[in-house]
Amino acid sequence: MNSIRRPRRQFARRWSSALLVAGLGHALVTQAAADDNDRIAVLEQKLDQSLQLIRELAARVHELEAKIAQQPPATPGANAPAPAGAAAAATGGAPPPTPAAALPPETAQRLTQLEQTVDQMAANAGHAEDRGMAMHGFADVGIGNHNAEFPQYQGADIAELDFFLTPRLGTNTRALFELNFEVAQDGQVGVDLERAQIGYQFGDSATLWIGRFHTPYGYYNTAFHHGQQIATSLRRPRFIEFEDHGGIMPAHTVGMWLTGSERVGGETKLTYDLYLGNGQRITGGQLDMNNAGNKRGGAIYGGNLGVLFGGRLDGLKIGVDAFQTRIADVDVTPAYFTQVRSYGVYSVYDTDSWENIAEFHVFTNSDLTGHTGSHHSDAGFAQFGYRGGRFIPYARYERGSFQQSDNYFAAQQTGQSYYRDSLGVRFDVDLVSALKMEIAETHFTDRIISSFDEILLQYAIRF
Amino acid sequence: MSRQRTPATPRPAARLLLAVLLAAGGARAQAADLYVICNARVPISAADVRDLFLGEKQFSGAVKLVPVDNSVAQSAFLEKVLQMNAAKYSTAWTKKSFRDGINPPLVAGSDAEALAYVRRTPGACSYVTTPASDVLVVSKQ
Repeated sequence: MNSIRRPRRQFARRWSSALLVAGLGHALVTQAAADDNDRIAVLEQKLDQSLQLIRELAARVHELEAKIAQQPPATPGANAPAPAGAAAAATGGAPPPTPAAALPPETAQRLTQLEQTVDQMAANAGHAEDRGMAMHGFADVGIGNHNAEFPQYQGADIAELDFFLTPRLGTNTRALFELNFEVAQDGQVGVDLERAQIGYQFGDSATLWIGRFHTPYGYYNTAFHHGQQIATSLRRPRFIEFEDHGGIMPAHTVGMWLTGSERVGGETKLTYDLYLGNGQRITGGQLDMNNAGNKRGGAIYGGNLGVLFGGRLDGLKIGVDAFQTRIADVDVTPAYFTQVRSYGVYSVYDTDSWENIAEFHVFTNSDLTGHTGSHHSDAGFAQFGYRGGRFIPYARYERGSFQQSDNYFAAQQTGQSYYRDSLGVRFDVDLVSALKMEIAETHFTDRIISSFDEILLQYAIRF
Repeated sequence: MSRQRTPATPRPAARLLLAVLLAAGGARAQAADLYVICNARVPISAADVRDLFLGEKQFSGAVKLVPVDNSVAQSAFLEKVLQMNAAKYSTAWTKKSFRDGINPPLVAGSDAEALAYVRRTPGACSYVTTPASDVLVVSKQ
């Protein structure tokens, strides 16, 4: 029996406890509900007060802005007094301001602070004036089992520090200077006046530059160049690297360049480049752009024609380019001359989700000294990137097939044929800095056949 | 028990929520007005505004255009007119500046400052949140 009664007692106790808990809970809930009602009532009251305060402050701001607009401009030479009706227009029918004396002390104090802020803004009016010289720049550092540019090195490296200046010069004259500090092939830091161009802008459709500029072939060379932070991939395709970093195309030209764009119906835009400059030379196994002028060799001239689509094809650009030059190889005596002709096609699809770039160049070079005839070579790359928020994974395939019987390629240290596969990811740390990681394998297919794998990390910023 | 969990409990909360929503809606309605303005002597149309603020259009006839961002209305302008966020706008200008050597728009700190600059600067264009006189109102969003 005991064994039966005990559970009954326990059962009764449990029910009693449960009822007690329920009762207490009920009382607490009731109390809590009452508390909530009180708190909500207080909050409602505070909200009403806040809304009233916002209305008063908004009216006061409108009034002060109207006053500022009526004041004579702070900048010398300013000559636009506001019309008499400006205040009414600026208030936009806002309710009349409440006199500060009628406001609670806290509100009056905040209004006073607001007035001081607006007065300060008025005192600073004209800060948007067009003065001075804007300076921007890029920098990047890296680490890897090879140096991204010079594979004979490994470990950490300082890649480059790049400044570009765009002084504000007036209505039609423009200037662009770019100064680059970079590590050279010998491991020393060198300084390059990357770009030094002064131009006259006739309008939106034409600007004529004179000086040293990025040779406008294809897309990549002018779009990114030293701006690693704005480029998705960790480095340029090898064959369009800078001349002293292994590139086999003239990345810079000293001469003149006519460029512009014009709408050709709807949202489609035609872009063009025409340029003429000093023919490059090969010295020390590298291309040199003849900054001071030409002694031997000839002129380089070329052009680039692109179509930038809008509407449903927004982000798509396709184009063709060509150049011809007479290159002197001054590493041999007498100098060896090659007429270089390059023809290219490119396509870019740059949207919020995708950045896909492809370029292909064909070289038809003629031997002007050894009379070995014409040589045909080609190079190209295709890169696909997907913008998935702050991460942009990308893949690139590139290859260069260069005839070694062509002195133009044979004379260049890095003129051997190759192909490279790369997989990488870019992570946008914030708006102005990006962290990139890339794995790549490079195969050289003539001269000395070899290959190497790379794991590279880069931190790139802009400022 | 059901009377403690009365509908009276949610009612004030609902009123509070409604008030907040109305206040937010009011603020949104106020922020909805955006006027793209240009100096009165600038012959420019609403169709040019996007190109103007992205550096694609720099001249209107012989007049050099001077776009001016207004920091207090920039987010609304980017969203409604250029249809891009601040990060994309900044990057677009970095690329433009690097490639073409032109500078991003100047930045005014208030409607009043933007308005004053546009009034006195031939070729200047900006945007404000209140209607303005003595300037060309290119568009109202």
